[in-house]
This record gives sequence, structure tokens and C-alpha cells, in this order.
Amino acid sequence: MSQALSTVTAPDALPDRGAGGTLTTDFAGRPEDLFRLSLKTGALTVLTLGFYRFWMKTRLRRWYWSAVRPGGIGLEYTGLPAEKLLGFLIAVVILAFYIGVVNLILMFASYALLAQNGAAYAISLAGVVPLWFFARYRARRYVLARTRWRGIRFGMQPGAWGYAGRALVHWAVTILTLGALWPRMTFALEKYRTDRTFYGSARLTQGGRWQMLMPQFVHALTGGGLSALSALVAYLDHPSFGWLLTLTIPWLGYGVCHYIAGSTRVMADHKTAEGISLVSAIRPQRVARIYLFGTLGAAGIIAAPLVVLGLSALAVETNRAALAAIPSWAFALVGAMVYFAVFLAWATLRHVFVLMPLWRHYAETLTVRGAEAVGTVRQRTPDGSTEAEGFAEALDVGAAI
Amino acid sequence: MTTLIGVGTRLGIVAFDALHVDGRRAQPTRVRLRFDDAGQRLTSDSGLRWPFADLRALRDQADPARVILRLAGNGTERLMLSDPEAIRLIRTRAPDLWKRPPVPGLWRLWAWAGAAMASVALIIFVLIPVMADQLARFIPPRGERALGEATFQQVRRALDQRGVGGLRVCTRPEGRAALDNLVARLTDEADLPAELTVHVLDSELVNAFALPGGIVVLFDGLIDAAGTPEEVAAVLAHEIGHVAARDPTRIALRSAGSIGVLGLLLGDFAGGAVVLFLANQVIQADYSRQAEAAADAYAGDLLVEAGLPPSAIADFFQRLQARGGEPAGLLVHLRSHPALGDRIAAARDRDPGSAALPPALTEAQWQALRSICP
Ligand SMILES: [Zn+2]
Repeated sequence: MSQALSTVTAPDALPDRGAGGTLTTDFAGRPEDLFRLSLKTGALTVLTLGFYRFWMKTRLRRWYWSAVRPGGIGLEYTGLPAEKLLGFLIAVVILAFYIGVVNLILMFASYALLAQNGAAYAISLAGVVPLWFFARYRARRYVLARTRWRGIRFGMQPGAWGYAGRALVHWAVTILTLGALWPRMTFALEKYRTDRTFYGSARLTQGGRWQMLMPQFVHALTGGGLSALSALVAYLDHPSFGWLLTLTIPWLGYGVCHYIAGSTRVMADHKTAEGISLVSAIRPQRVARIYLFGTLGAAGIIAAPLVVLGLSALAVETNRAALAAIPSWAFALVGAMVYFAVFLAWATLRHVFVLMPLWRHYAETLTVRGAEAVGTVRQRTPDGSTEAEGFAEALDVGAAI
Repeated sequence: MTTLIGVGTRLGIVAFDALHVDGRRAQPTRVRLRFDDAGQRLTSDSGLRWPFADLRALRDQADPARVILRLAGNGTERLMLSDPEAIRLIRTRAPDLWKRPPVPGLWRLWAWAGAAMASVALIIFVLIPVMADQLARFIPPRGERALGEATFQQVRRALDQRGVGGLRVCTRPEGRAALDNLVARLTDEADLPAELTVHVLDSELVNAFALPGGIVVLFDGLIDAAGTPEEVAAVLAHEIGHVAARDPTRIALRSAGSIGVLGLLLGDFAGGAVVLFLANQVIQADYSRQAEAAADAYAGDLLVEAGLPPSAIADFFQRLQARGGEPAGLLVHLRSHPALGDRIAAARDRDPGSAALPPALTEAQWQALRSICP
């Protein structure tokens, strides 16, 4: 470089290489950006009768992934909308037949034999359940195969049918034990998935045992047990005991939330991959607060204009002549617009008030240990499965985003 | 570290730091990049040579202060930049920085889109109708009745714009008695597959429809719009014709199959809307032209046997057409069959024409029927 040139140094915001042996995680997203992205893609989804949703999901995932930065380097989501659409189309070809023809036959059989349709719904649902677990595993595999960190792909071995079979057995056991063995199921299914997961050349291992989740389950168990007890006593001979449910059911709700957050933390603490390990400090109370106040906040913002609309409708209602002057297509139009507006507002506000705070908390409480070992991880060959999350998409298997 | 050079009064960077991941090891390295404007590329001491034309930035990133570069294609190499001046200069140099990657396997996508549409069309327009027609023959009366009751409740809920509990069923005793009188006169001689139940719903729509299991629904708006009880009787007779042919059972079974498939296609956001739409389709009852002609013929026989004028339906249509304004549900439904004029003429032809026919209802009964919804 020529000596005649002046040299200025500027502050440098790039991350370090993670020398200290541990990598903390930061969350780089701002709510206003997410609001804009979610509103824009949601509006496009509504305008295209739902077909933009493949693009919407991809774009939101790119945003969330890039916001989560262990050691200062964000994750990268490389899934493509077109492959999601393709996977969906493949699933439609198969599922349309099932849902149309099989449902029709079930409906007929149910009415013909039992003169009601409850049985048809039950059987139809039972037929979809294994497919649902299958779809969940496939969806996770797809998402991992499309996730990179430091340029290295994650991946997951095939095993969706094995997963579906195990999930069915564990659910049966959990239901038969009235939920008491839920942690056993959580652990077994997460271990099945984790032990088949790779970060580049490094295979993940889920350590620990299912009993370690029991302390996280105490609230759910107590709330559930007391709810069942109160309901039973109220039902058998003391209906006045029913009011106890107003205390025990929220307790159960908190317990479930506590368990989901707490078990995620404990399970993360026992995940390792060839010298790399995770430490999580997720706080279940904080997660419960985000769910409660985030949902209330979003619902409140949506409800406020609806209440105004409802009151003005009521004011018009009292004036029958004015009502008759409004053509019915106008009612239908306003109804449809309100429906879609509420849908859009809810989707957007849920991101800003619930999902983003959750992701932020989950990210900021995560530490990666063994930074030196990370540096030795090598790339894995891409997993080109083309069906993407087709079945998960078609069956609406809820990945949060 | 950023190096700036002064050229006259302008400042421009020649070199800046970035983080490089090579896509082979999970080890980012700090590299010093330079703009090689002569070679139209970005270069580094470590040997990177990235042409400006091939630079692409990752889209939808959460941190607006950082740009992550990749090369066109599917490579795993990345450069992470956070120097605002460097980012600005790259924007001016890389012409296709924000270009979207090409969609891979487009022909495959189109092929599957075609297959998906073909299979959905086949299922909805061929398989489900054929199966529904076959199954409708074998459903026992008790099951058919249950199907009708369930559909009736769905329609009541779907049509209630206030969204509370569904449209009201009108049951004022005097009106009810007049209606039962009229129905009995029509069906005394008829051989129906199911016992007939006629409901009046409190709605201003001018419409009537038949449901599985012998349920016929009249809207209060239709009774108000009719000029004589004979006109109501004619509409009733037409709907009874559909009941006799079990047309509604076929339609209900069809929609049972179709609702799920359409919900699947449109995803969760429009799913609810689809169910409402299809519930409306049930009452718009898109029967085939043959089914309508058969219902008309059946209605004509029924009316003649009951000593009522089949031509009343023609009077009713003309009254509705004269009213003009917004097309009423019934009129739209019937107008969708191009032979409406023929049907009016046919109805007039069947009229026995004698003036001695006893009226369908006495004046008192007719007034009671008109006020069945208090
Ligand atoms: Zn008809």
C-alpha cells in the first residue's frame, strides 16, 4: 500500500473466534423489523389465497435463524420456498385421496351404522396420527439439513417410521398412566432424534436418563392431580368443590409450560457432540410470563378495534331501517375483511409478542462449551431430500414458524 | 481494521476486515479484503478471488448492520462484513447483490403441480360424486336422517350473521298448524323415501332447500315474498321432488369428501372460510339439470294430485323477477338452469285451468303462516 495514503482505523463489530473455550449466544433481531417482515409476508399470503405461505415461512426462518448467534456468528437457513411447495404438492397427491375418499367412506359408514358422525371423525383422526409423527420427524430432518452454522451443515439420519412407531407406543403408555410417565416419553423421543443428529462430521449424543426430568414435572403433576381430584369430588357428591378448579387448572397450565421449558433446558445440558457441549439457563417462569403476557398483549391489541366495530354494529342494529339499506354483499365483504385482518394481525403480533421473546430468551441463555472442538468439525455432504416438509405442511404439523 | 485512502477530497476504502468461513471446516478466519477494481473482484491475501458480478448477499437477515456474502451458485463459503463503508462500496460494485437464486428443478415443480391439480380435480369432480351417488342409495333411513340433522345445524350456524347459536327455527303454533296442513295436503298421496319434516328459518333470504332424510327448509323471507299460499305450495312441491330423488343426500356426501380436500389445499388460514363457503353451497344446491327437471316433473304430479295449480311456480318467479333489485337466492339458483323460461311454460301447460280448485289455505291460515316467525 502506498505510503502517501492516510490510514484510519474504524471500530470493528465482527465477532471473535471464540478463544475462551465457551461461546455465548446473542440474539440480533429487532421487533420492528420482524413486525414489518411478518406483516408483509402475511399480507401476501392472504392475497394469494395461502400460496405465498411457503415463501413466508422461508423468509421468517431466514430472519430468526440469522438472529441466533452462538459465538457472534448467526445460523443460516438455506431452505427454498420452491422445495417446500414441491413437498406440499407431493403430499397433496397422496393425502387428497386419503382425505377425500377415505373420509367419505368413513362418514358413510358412521352414519349408516351408528347414525352419527363422531365415529367417523375419530377413526379418520386415528388414521392420521402415525402420519403426523412421521411428518414431524421428516420436518425436523428437513429443517436441520437446511441449517448451517459457521458454514457447516446440520443433518439428521432417516428414521421417520421408527420414530412414528416409538411415538405411538410412548403416547399409549403416557395415556394409560394418566400422564405420569410423560417425562419418559419426552426423553426417549428426544434421544431418538438427537442421537441421529449431526453437526457436520460431529454426531450429537443425548446423555442423562428420563428420571432427571421428574423435578421439572412436579408442577404439572401436582396441578393435574389436584384438578382431577377436585373434579372427581365435585362430580361425586360435593359440587361446591368445583370452584377449586379455577385454582388447579391454571396451576396445571403453568406446570405444563414449566415442564416444556425446564425439560428443554435439562435435555440441552446433556447434549454433547465430540468435545462440544451445551449449557442452557432457560428460566421456566420467564417462559411462562412471555406466553401469558405476550398472548394477552396480542389478543388485547386485536380485541380493541373489534370491540369498537362490535359497538358500532350494535348502534346500527338498533336502527333497523339503516340496517336494511345495507346490501348483504357488503356484510359478507366486511365479514371476510375482518376475518382476514384478524388472521393477519394475530399471526404478526404472535411473532412480535410471543415467538421472538421466546427465541430471544432461549438464545441468550445458551452457551456452547468446547469452542476449540468446534473448529475441528468438518463439512457433511448435503441431504437432498426433495419432499421437504410436505406432509408436515399439509397436515399442519406445528413447527412454531 | 479499516484502511481508508484519500484521493483528492474523496475518501475510499482499499482494504477492510471480514470473517471468512470456507464451508469445509467450522473455523471462521479473519481475512483482509481489497477491492480489485481493475479485475472487478474482491481479493484477499489468503487467496480469495470473488468477482463482483458473482457476489450475492443473504436475504432477510435480522441484523441490518451486517452483510453476509456468498458466491452465485450453491457454495458453502461465506464472508461476513460489518464495516458500513465497506458494505456501501460493495453495494455500488456488485450489480446482482440482491438477485434471487434460480429456482431449481422448475419442470419437476410444474409436473407435480399438474399432478396435484389433476388428482384433486379427479377426486372432487369424478371420484367423490360417483362414490357419493352410489353410497346415497345404500344409506339406511336412520343414518340419512342423522346426516340431515347434522347438516341442518351446520347451515343454521353458517347463516347466522350475528354468530350466536344459529338461525332461529320459527314454531308459532298457528303458523305451524297451517304449514302442517299444507304439507299434509301435498304428501298424502306421495310415496317418499323418508318421513317429511318442514322447518321455517327466521331469515330474510328468499330461499328454500332440501336436506337428507326428508328435511325441507323454507326461509321466512320466501313466505313473505310469495303472493299466495299456492306459490309456497309449488316451491314446497319442488323441494319434495328433490327429497323423493334423494338429491340432498348425494350432495351432502359429496361435500363431506370435498371439504377435507379443499381445506388441505388452502391451509389453515382459509380453512375456516372454506367450510362456511361449502355450507352455503349446500343451500345453493347445485343439482344437475336432469335432477331439476325430475324435481319439477315430480312437483307437477304432486300438485295436480293435491288439486293445486302447478302454474303457481311461474307466478312466483315472475313476481320475484318483477321485484328486481338484488337477485334472491332462489332466483339465482333457478336462473342457473337455462331452461327457466321452458319450465315456466311447462308449468303453465300442466295447469288443469279450472277455476274451481279449492285454495291451498284459507285466508286465516295463510295469514297465520305469514306470521309464523313472531
Ligand atoms: Zn331444485
